[in-house]
Amino acid sequence: MERVIGYIGRKAIASITHLMDLFALVFRIFSQVYNPPKAGRVLVRRIIVQQLYFTAVQALPILIPIALLIGCLVIIEFSKLSGQYDFSRLSVLLIVREIGPIITAQLVILRSATAVTIEISYMRVLKELEAIEMAGLDPIRFVCLPRLVGITSAMVGLFIVFDLVSILGGYAIVWAIASIPMSHFLYRIAKAVTLSDIGVGLIKAVLFGITITVTCLYRGFEAKHQITEVPIATSRSAVECFLYCLVMNVFISIVFYL
Amino acid sequence: MSFYSLELYDYSLAAMGSGHGIQGFSFILAPGDVCAVESPQADDGRLFLRALATLVRPLRGSYVFKGQHHDLRRYNDMLGCKRKIGYVSPGVALISNLSVKQNLLLPRYYHENKLDIDLDEPAMALCRAMGIEEKIDQRPAGLTPMEVQSAIIVRELIKMPEILLLDQPEMVVGHSKFDALAGIFNRLIDERLPIVFFSYDERLLSPFVNRKVRIADGRLTAETVPAKPTGTTAEDDAGKR
Repeated sequence: MERVIGYIGRKAIASITHLMDLFALVFRIFSQVYNPPKAGRVLVRRIIVQQLYFTAVQALPILIPIALLIGCLVIIEFSKLSGQYDFSRLSVLLIVREIGPIITAQLVILRSATAVTIEISYMRVLKELEAIEMAGLDPIRFVCLPRLVGITSAMVGLFIVFDLVSILGGYAIVWAIASIPMSHFLYRIAKAVTLSDIGVGLIKAVLFGITITVTCLYRGFEAKHQITEVPIATSRSAVECFLYCLVMNVFISIVFYL
Repeated sequence: MSFYSLELYDYSLAAMGSGHGIQGFSFILAPGDVCAVESPQADDGRLFLRALATLVRPLRGSYVFKGQHHDLRRYNDMLGCKRKIGYVSPGVALISNLSVKQNLLLPRYYHENKLDIDLDEPAMALCRAMGIEEKIDQRPAGLTPMEVQSAIIVRELIKMPEILLLDQPEMVVGHSKFDALAGIFNRLIDERLPIVFFSYDERLLSPFVNRKVRIADGRLTAETVPAKPTGTTAEDDAGKR
């Protein structure tokens, strides 16, 4: 029994320490935002634009078909279930509040979080981060800050695109291929969407973006000596990002909707 | 203003790899010093150079760069020192997602806040001397390992360092670039740039070196104290310590 309690205690302490480390990293990155030195602004801005391109623009060809498919499915299923009366409200609830942020986060985790973890791990193992330090550059400002800003902004942008495409595109596809009555669909959606729905979706997108970036940066920095540490770090970061996003999603939904 | 470029007092370093670490040593480097590090354990020699480059935090001790005490726990404070130290080693790398030219210009991009700058003539001359002029627009993956190491030497030299640390430079550039490298060292020594070598190649060491330190069994010994310059007073030194 003592062993079990000891094991649980050690795991709990390790988890709390890990969370504190993540918060410390968030604090260090945000301290660069609030107290930015003049040097490096142009370079940092350029890396942010590159990160936005990799995470947002290059993800669009994958995100748009996924959003269309999910939009179609949700509209068809709910129209069958609810007999049209309530289905615009239900579609909006499900897509804007829950499915949109989670699917967008999942896509960003699969595409960008894994890529960033691998990139940072390699930079660490191959001593590229030391080269950055020896040039007098702070890796937190040069490596972490642009990724945090880029991925978080991309997350917000992708979330908005996902919602629009899944609701409007899904409506268009269902209207074209199915014989479900769609009268006043858009009008009902406009009535169904409240400011709090949009606000909560955006809050989720921002928090997911921060969580994903910080987790993958932290796991990337953990690799130190061996190339074999890279896949371990990548796997851990992907699983943790997804878990944290799910927990945060539930937490935010409870806070705002219960 | 201190006469010495670098001073380490009562320094202790934890072991790295198969080395023993280094316990309780002091080390002073003055302009014009060309210091060879001898060690039967390559890891101890490398550890010493990494400590001088502030890439390793000591167990205890104080680090004085250009007469200023630095707290190695204050990371941002140390970046200013790192920028003024040239460190060449088989273990350092170029940043793989930038071209060689961008690697060479990275500190300038950052500190001058401009991206539309180009390599100046002295930097291009160094690239020519090290045989990488044709490849500066390629990424490191397109270069041979020797060319990568040549680019690292160029990168560290165009930083205009105030101290140069060389970890086995004979491995870094190979024999074909030996004369070019020796010529560059001669010029730097004429400019009284303090240099610390860790090398097993007597051809590199014997013509240049004017001091030696030996690291064995966790102790740094046999250091020749640098000669005092003309015009430096005892008060200068006392104030500095």
